[in-house]
Amino acid sequence: MLKVLIPTMMLFPTIWLTSPKWLWTTTTAHSLLIASASLTWLKWTSEAGWAFSNMYLATDPLSTPLLVLTCWLLPLMILASQNHINPEPVGRQRSYITLLALLQTFLIMAFGATEIIMFYIMFEATLIPTLIIITRWGNQAERLNAGTYFLFYTLAGSLPLLVALLLLQQSTGTLSMLVLQYSQPLQLSSWGHMAWWAGCLVAFLVKMPLYGVHLWLPKAHVEAPVAGSMVLAAVLLKLGGYGMMRMMVTLDPLSKELAYPFIILALWGIIMTGSICLRQTDLKSLIAYSSVSHMGLVAGGVLIQTPWGFSGAIILMIAHGLASSALFCLANTAYERTHSRTMMLARGLQMIFPLTAVWWLAANLANLALPPLPNLMGELMIITTLFNWSPWTILLTGLGALITASYSLYMFLMSQRGPTPNHIMGLQPFHTREHLLMTLHLIPIILLMTKPELMWGWCY
Amino acid sequence: MTLTMHSSLLLMLFILVYPLSTTLSPSQQNSNMAKMTKVAVSSAFFVSLLPLMVFLNMKTEGIITNWQWMNTQTFDINVSFKFDHYSLIFVPIALYVTWSILEFALWYMHSDPNIDRFFKYLLTFLVAMIILVTANNMFQLFIGWEGVGIMSFMLIGWWYGRTDANTAALQAVIYNRVGDIGLIMTMAWLATNLNSWEIQQIFALSKNFNMTVPLMGLTLAATGKSAQFGLHPWLPSAMEGPTPVSALLHSSTMVVAGIFLLIRLHPLMENNKLALTACLCLGALTSLFTAACALTQNDIKKIVAFSTSSQLGLMMVTIGLNQPQLAFLHICTHAFFKAMLFLCSGSIIHSLNNEQDIRKMGGLFNMMPTTSTCFTIGSLALTGTPFLAGFFSKDAIIEALNTSYLNAWALTLTLIATSFTAVYSFRLVYFVLMGAPRFPPLTPINENNPLVINSIKRLAWGSIIAGLIITQNFLTTKTPVMTMPTTLKMAALAVTITGLLVATEMANVASKQVKITPMTSTHHFSNMLGFFPTTTHRLLPKLNLTLGQSAATQLDKTWLETIGPKGLALTQTTMSKTTNDITRGMIKTYLTIFILTLILATAPALL
Repeated sequence: MLKVLIPTMMLFPTIWLTSPKWLWTTTTAHSLLIASASLTWLKWTSEAGWAFSNMYLATDPLSTPLLVLTCWLLPLMILASQNHINPEPVGRQRSYITLLALLQTFLIMAFGATEIIMFYIMFEATLIPTLIIITRWGNQAERLNAGTYFLFYTLAGSLPLLVALLLLQQSTGTLSMLVLQYSQPLQLSSWGHMAWWAGCLVAFLVKMPLYGVHLWLPKAHVEAPVAGSMVLAAVLLKLGGYGMMRMMVTLDPLSKELAYPFIILALWGIIMTGSICLRQTDLKSLIAYSSVSHMGLVAGGVLIQTPWGFSGAIILMIAHGLASSALFCLANTAYERTHSRTMMLARGLQMIFPLTAVWWLAANLANLALPPLPNLMGELMIITTLFNWSPWTILLTGLGALITASYSLYMFLMSQRGPTPNHIMGLQPFHTREHLLMTLHLIPIILLMTKPELMWGWCY
Repeated sequence: MTLTMHSSLLLMLFILVYPLSTTLSPSQQNSNMAKMTKVAVSSAFFVSLLPLMVFLNMKTEGIITNWQWMNTQTFDINVSFKFDHYSLIFVPIALYVTWSILEFALWYMHSDPNIDRFFKYLLTFLVAMIILVTANNMFQLFIGWEGVGIMSFMLIGWWYGRTDANTAALQAVIYNRVGDIGLIMTMAWLATNLNSWEIQQIFALSKNFNMTVPLMGLTLAATGKSAQFGLHPWLPSAMEGPTPVSALLHSSTMVVAGIFLLIRLHPLMENNKLALTACLCLGALTSLFTAACALTQNDIKKIVAFSTSSQLGLMMVTIGLNQPQLAFLHICTHAFFKAMLFLCSGSIIHSLNNEQDIRKMGGLFNMMPTTSTCFTIGSLALTGTPFLAGFFSKDAIIEALNTSYLNAWALTLTLIATSFTAVYSFRLVYFVLMGAPRFPPLTPINENNPLVINSIKRLAWGSIIAGLIITQNFLTTKTPVMTMPTTLKMAALAVTITGLLVATEMANVASKQVKITPMTSTHHFSNMLGFFPTTTHRLLPKLNLTLGQSAATQLDKTWLETIGPKGLALTQTTMSKTTNDITRGMIKTYLTIFILTLILATAPALL
């Protein structure tokens, strides 16, 4: 754990001490080294399910894929931001990268924490750098509003969690994830207990986000700079899913009945947000809503609480993290050239950027879950679990799959196909950096196809 | 022998994948991908003949499981190929047909700057289909299934500057996705109840289960992929793609995948009356409806497309008759003449300067003798003329149908559809090949290119003898009924000939206006595809898009915002305004309130 955490912390001196000329190169290389070091976690030697480094930090099959994803994403964020941060004064460039590194530090500690309370603190701590990224480096005035939404939705959800956690600490005497699952099942019956149950989950459901409390997400995604959108979609949403999986263990007897409305809301959300995607004109907003739709499936899988549900949820989280981050990068490359997020204004780009069209196609196919990409494995597992729970859910999940395919290809057709409009002139050619960025997104997706057990979670 | 068979099959797969791997080579500018693809497919065909011979000689079938792909507690997914009589016979046929199509495409697409990419797509399409056919595992089958789906999206939308091509491509994917829901449901059902996706395990385990739910899923899947009634409109729209794509799509890949799925999983179905009846009625309806649509189309490719749809309906009927092997036979023979019909149409379209309207053709048998001959052979084979390829499968199907005691309504519909086959085939030949030319005089008619002649000729040989060869070597396991009254025996021929006679008479009548005001409503029904796309393509998307719009503006932007952040902010600001109003430095009021409070507080104590 420390061999990743300490280098991550050493990023800060790297950022502030390197000469401006080498700033981006060094930080990218450094973070990429961290990412490759983090791959060692995937080698699984422990029999006990946990691999410790000390009392507070440990990895298990559930957190490892998310940790590796977190580490993998930092170099990609740095690569993606290079173009639009580069013109700024060097001090600001340094502080921007610092924020990204800080976010990674918090995230590693959040996913690596063995104490739920530490996870909680880190969960909250990630809000600060993200908020600054959105409100300081966003492009439009609307970003302040987006920041407020982001902060207050998440805080309103997570403060009850703190109370609920303290209550749990009082009744079981521990908040350690290692022993919590072995503690006595709680005798829960009263309304207060139900409120406690809800308190334990609502923070994560808001973070996911569940349909109904998702309003912060499209705003935050649309207004954030590319790195912010990437990390939000790829990792921060996954904090919600991860937290839920950790908490579900203790909530057992009550969840059986209490989860119903949430499952139904999540499944209904897939349809609603998918339909919203079909009407989006704004590229980033479309991708953001598609995240909500996918996360609805994840929420359904987790709330069902079967091994396949958990596995499917974690697979889908990882796969969706990579795919949606790739889509945000692509949206940003289009935005940096046409200076508009409106899809209608930049059609037929395949003619101008043929290789980029390949990236668009691949990212969209990953988004619509083409077999045998891991996205499909995740969706299939969750759909199977839900089908096992109630066969009628196939109507919602199947319709969801249909709508997902429709809007993904709609996005592809709108941006890449069709006639090229006349006003598109003198677009900057694609940098190798951008192609590299896309390759680094897609390679993990393709490689995970060959050994999906790495992100099976507890089922492995 | 088994070793020879399996290693040559794997060799065939590697040969096919090799041209795709050259994508990674850095020297793309001077690549010769298109020609290489053709050579790869033809050599793969010859390689695949070896296992076929082994199979024909020794009846060797096999399953090879190479690699445990993934494992979830007790659930294994393996990479596993099934080389049974279906895949061993189908793969060489698919390769043979694709070989000709690719050769033709070398000529048809020669001026396209992206011809290499086009061939790459075609090859991927074929590989996906081979994966589907050889899969011994639902997951692997699903890879091929979605692979052909997405490749058809890419190929139908090949001319992506055109809106029509894009919408047609999207339509294909969306209709197929509806079918996919069925397949996903079946897979979910199998995983939860049988805990296996391996096909032979499914067969073994399913004996004690009521299979209606998964079978309905499979039927839905086949409906989407094989364009059965209800999910058929994408098939004629798919004619927006280049002609070689249509040829490949309609002959040996994609559309037969749905039927093939049902054939492959037929052992699940054979005892389930409900599923069989559903297939029977669905197939009969499709067959008749699409044949009726074909009657009045004017686009040469659309007519051929609808004839495919009608034949797919016939295959579905055969599945409903509990005769999967006859359906498979029809897939095989159909591949030859349908691919050839498309290639001939392509040759004609190209020669007439991209003219597709049969009213602007005519008299081509003088100018394009080879194409015309082959076109006629294809049409004859399609109608089931004795001893051409179509006869062996079609006649067997109609006989099986006549001697069965199933739903007479479905059987009648199928017979009517069979007679319609003769009608639209005759109409095609009559308008395209016969009579006087109706096209502009300066058209670049030239079929004298070995790429055209050879590819079409090869398929013509196939259309003539393939039926005989296959039926000689591949016996159906169900013994067909051999004795029947002459009327039943001749029924297929009789309805076809009746159709032909009626069609010639109609052609005669059509040239003179008998009625001053013709009754056009039936014509409109057929010409507008039964008003099916006009209604459903408007209603359903409108419903969904309106839902999306109101979900976005009314629910998200209005209700959720008002109840959530905005409403909360409103209550808070009202409260703070009220309290704020008091604190305005009015010292007299404050002192008065203070004194009043003081009096109230101290009064009880004083009293």
